[in-house]
Amino acid sequence: MSCPLAHLCLLTLLLPLLSSAASISPAESISQAYSLALYMQKNTSMLLQTYLQYQGSPFSDPGFSAPELQLSSLPPATAFFKTWRTLDDGERLSLAQGAFLALTQHLQLVRDDQSDLNPGSPILLAQLGTARLRAQGLLGNMATIMTALGLPMLPEEDTLGLVAFGASAFERKCRGYVVTREYGHWTDRAVRDLALLKAKYPA
Amino acid sequence: MALFVVFQTTFFLTLLSLRTYQSEVLAERLPLTPVSLKVSTNSIHQSLHLQWTVHNLPYHQELKMVFQIQISRIETSNVVWVGNYSTTVKWNQVLHWSWESELPLECATHFVRIKSVMDDASFPEPNFWSNWSSWEEVSVQYSLGRDILFVFPKDKLVEEGSNVTICYVSRNIQNNVSCYLEGKQIHGEQLDPHVTAFNLNSVPFIRNRGTNIYCEASQGNVSKGIEGIVLFVSKVLEEPKDFSCETQDFKTLHCTWDPGTDTALGWSKQPSQSYTLFESFSGEKKLCTHKNWCNWQITQDSQEMYNFTLIAENYLRKRSVNILFNLTHRVYLMNPFSVNFENVNATNAIMTWKVHSMRNNFTYLCQIELHGEGKMMQYDVSIKVNGEYFLSELEPATEYMARVRCADASNFWKWSEWSGQNFTTLEAAPSEAPDVWRSVNSEPGNHTVTLFWKPLSKLHANGKILFYNVVVENLDKPSRSELRSIPAPANSTKLILDRCSYQICVTANNSVGASPASIIVISADPENKEVEEERIAGTDGGFSLSWKPQPGDVIGYVVDWCDHPQDVLQWKNVGPNTTSTVISTDAFRPGVRYDFRIYGLSTKRIACLLEKKTGYSQELAPSDNPHVLVDMLTSHSFTLSWKDYSTESQPGFIQGYHVYLKSKARQCHPRFQKAILSDGSECCKYKIDNPEEKALIVDNLKPESSYEFFVTPFTSAGEGPNATFTKVTTPDEHSSMLIHILLPMVFCVLLIMIVCYLKSQWIKETCYPDIPDPYKSSILSLIKFKENPHLTIMNVSDCIPDAIEVVSKPEGTKIQILGTRKSLTETELTKPNYLYLLPTEKNHSGPGPCICFENFTYNQAASDSGFCGHVPVSPKAPPSMLGLMTSPENVLKALEKNYMNSLGEVPAGETSLNYVSQLASPMSGDKDSLPTNPVEPPHCSEYKMQIAVPLRLALPRPTENSSLSSITLLDPGEHYR
Repeated sequence: MSCPLAHLCLLTLLLPLLSSAASISPAESISQAYSLALYMQKNTSMLLQTYLQYQGSPFSDPGFSAPELQLSSLPPATAFFKTWRTLDDGERLSLAQGAFLALTQHLQLVRDDQSDLNPGSPILLAQLGTARLRAQGLLGNMATIMTALGLPMLPEEDTLGLVAFGASAFERKCRGYVVTREYGHWTDRAVRDLALLKAKYPA
Repeated sequence: MALFVVFQTTFFLTLLSLRTYQSEVLAERLPLTPVSLKVSTNSIHQSLHLQWTVHNLPYHQELKMVFQIQISRIETSNVVWVGNYSTTVKWNQVLHWSWESELPLECATHFVRIKSVMDDASFPEPNFWSNWSSWEEVSVQYSLGRDILFVFPKDKLVEEGSNVTICYVSRNIQNNVSCYLEGKQIHGEQLDPHVTAFNLNSVPFIRNRGTNIYCEASQGNVSKGIEGIVLFVSKVLEEPKDFSCETQDFKTLHCTWDPGTDTALGWSKQPSQSYTLFESFSGEKKLCTHKNWCNWQITQDSQEMYNFTLIAENYLRKRSVNILFNLTHRVYLMNPFSVNFENVNATNAIMTWKVHSMRNNFTYLCQIELHGEGKMMQYDVSIKVNGEYFLSELEPATEYMARVRCADASNFWKWSEWSGQNFTTLEAAPSEAPDVWRSVNSEPGNHTVTLFWKPLSKLHANGKILFYNVVVENLDKPSRSELRSIPAPANSTKLILDRCSYQICVTANNSVGASPASIIVISADPENKEVEEERIAGTDGGFSLSWKPQPGDVIGYVVDWCDHPQDVLQWKNVGPNTTSTVISTDAFRPGVRYDFRIYGLSTKRIACLLEKKTGYSQELAPSDNPHVLVDMLTSHSFTLSWKDYSTESQPGFIQGYHVYLKSKARQCHPRFQKAILSDGSECCKYKIDNPEEKALIVDNLKPESSYEFFVTPFTSAGEGPNATFTKVTTPDEHSSMLIHILLPMVFCVLLIMIVCYLKSQWIKETCYPDIPDPYKSSILSLIKFKENPHLTIMNVSDCIPDAIEVVSKPEGTKIQILGTRKSLTETELTKPNYLYLLPTEKNHSGPGPCICFENFTYNQAASDSGFCGHVPVSPKAPPSMLGLMTSPENVLKALEKNYMNSLGEVPAGETSLNYVSQLASPMSGDKDSLPTNPVEPPHCSEYKMQIAVPLRLALPRPTENSSLSSITLLDPGEHYR
């Protein structure tokens, strides 16, 4: 992840954020978003493992998993396949966009929590920061696609408004776990979303 | 004014009446029951906060009261705490009191009630307790959310080693709840079906990020939820150690301490402990920003005494230490500056420095340290502002480091830091003569003297030695001294001196001057004194040498030796009164022989060899075995010899040899002893104690037996290396006997042959003399004298050896040469009356060496005819006949045949009877005419066989003359019958 090539690759993928979206065709923007999602997918499990490693038992126990833990402020990535498949492109992209919007804010929250709890863990903080940056990058890519396809843009909202600030340390650890886990799940789903779009708009 | 008086009186009366009223009321309404009890909770601190009022209190009056508080848990009868709270109460005052619960408040309902009693001196009457207030119920469970599981207390901060109670609330009693502390399950006490509490005693500090405690609700194997808390366990705050304050400039006090363990915790639960300085005389306080030091500004020049309290504090504990001091007793000077050296020469220097001025009339105590040559000197000096110290007794040409530190002389607190500087003293002339020794090699006509000297120690060199001067002065005849300068690193020089006495002076020189001279005298006489070498034993520490004192005055002794393997001459000087020394050096190697020579130095500085010693610092076993030759091998003995083995160049003194002998016989030979080899095999061993005895006769051996031997030298350290045995087989007895007989025989035969060869002439003459020459015979003259002159002697060359012609002649003797058969046939027509008897055995053309005699006795007819002549001899004989002439029998046959043929052709009337007697002519002595075929009998020297002729032929009687003549010509020694 820290290799210079990866950073270069990331830079090129984030480029659409900086350049004018109108000049890019749907196929091209979809392809770029897809590449970024694939790249993100490779690092999500590492982020989760690093996060859990710093939280102590039971999080750091081998094979830890608590699927029952959820956050009301973060939409779950799991969905019935039929429901997901019958969504139209606009709906599917809007759901993903909403999720990554929430994820970017939650990742920032988790990073803040961890910088308080684990100030001596630069690796974890860096990984959380990078994940947030990529989520923002993917959001930008999705916005480009939606513009290219002429779909209505999702209005930004503060999903974290629903988050309790007075959470206890253990609750914050759980929250961070859910965020890093859902980040992985949503990235997996975004890859599938974009693959579907890519098939529909071949280069 | 009157109005004021009236007002004052009215006020006083009113107050008095009010007081009276109050006393009456109190007397009526007592006891005073606490009312309006309200209980609130503080989840963070797990505390119940009580507030109440006391009614009916006198207006504007403070009364001392005692409140008793009861706290029950879960139900009112379960009282968990009872305590008193004393305070002064004012009218209409709301009282507050807090109680911290061990059990998290969320886990159980609490009940609180209170009662009071007057405890005021203004009411001397006996007091009694009021009634209890009604139970006040406190429950926070209702405020929990809808989750199925809760664990309390959240994020509690405790000190290491304290006791903590945690609890969980499970909404569904169907769920099985297990709780874990850092992965290890903990067991608690169920308070009610939903609540279980866990008492954790003496919690340990695990990490500053807190300790996870979590509970998991499950039904069967299905996890229903997970909930937990982080318990923040802080290390116990330590008291600061080594707290002290001091000033360098009377403006700032610098206080330092050892903070001990940092008690900071993660998640901002507890920051690092804070430190605060409090000065009690001035009442000033300062929060320190560093954890182990703090600066305090001195603001008042007049304040001399300071009383400092250092307070360390975290969320859980506060600790403090205190010091009281006089400022002038805490002066820590800044280190001196401008350290310099003046007037530096070979042995002295002046050191100067300055001190930062503190106050007027301040006296400083300074300490100087001088480091040089591995030594350290310390000097103390008292100064005002400028320091100066005279450094003496320094070593020349030496680098020194001098440093100085100072302190307040009147109230010593501590030394300042050091300030230092390096300096180097100047060079001086070397202070000691070099240690010189020599080795002398005497050659015809001169001495080769090699001078050696040891470099001067740094202490004596007093600088860098640049060169050595060697002055050679002839003591026997006046001549100019010879000076040689040898550049410094050299430590030897070679001089060639003639046969005179010489004095040699050696001095070492540096840039300043020369050292005292070292003098050695080489005498005119060479060192030809024979001194016996003595063996000594070295020890681990070296060699202990002792010698007999030299007669006469000596100024000392010198022991010299060579270091191996560098072959560098070493020597040691010994005082004149000492006759023993120990030579010890690391250079001695085990197994190397060292030769020591001990010289006495006469007052004239002439060295005289006294003794020689040789030895090993440690003897080793021999490194190799001799090459052994086997001599004189017989069936019963052999000799082993190793003459070439050198006993000198060995790693130890050879003491003798061990001869090992292996044989099939169990018994050892006499002189041998049984020994067991390292490989466990048995053999016989013979010990030779003399190292120069390098041969051994091994006897009493058995013939035709195999023996194995092995010879190894030994030193005090042991034997030589193991090696293979050499095999020897003794020969058998008979073969040696045979040799004893055969050899002389062969010798004798050879001798005889040589003698025979040398004496061949004599033998020849003795054994087979030459046939005498008839011409030279004495008998010839006799015959000539007596007989007629016609008588001749047969010439051998005229003889035809192949035929005998028998001629009947009445008188005298005629020599007839017989021709070959061919000739015979050719003469057939002439009809000679000869009897041809012998064919030639050779085909040579010359006349054969044959003497023919005519026998008239047998040929009457022929003799009658009176004809005798030579028959021409054909040079060629019929080849068919040659082969048959090899034996007398063949000759006979041939003769028979020829005669028969001849007879056949001869008319019967003419030759009635022929009888031929033959005599061979002697052939020996005529070497030239010797027959080439040795097998052939000397045909001419034998009698021809008489051939019988047909009986019808008349046999005439031989005449006496004819027989006489034929006898006369024969040599009796040559005749065969």
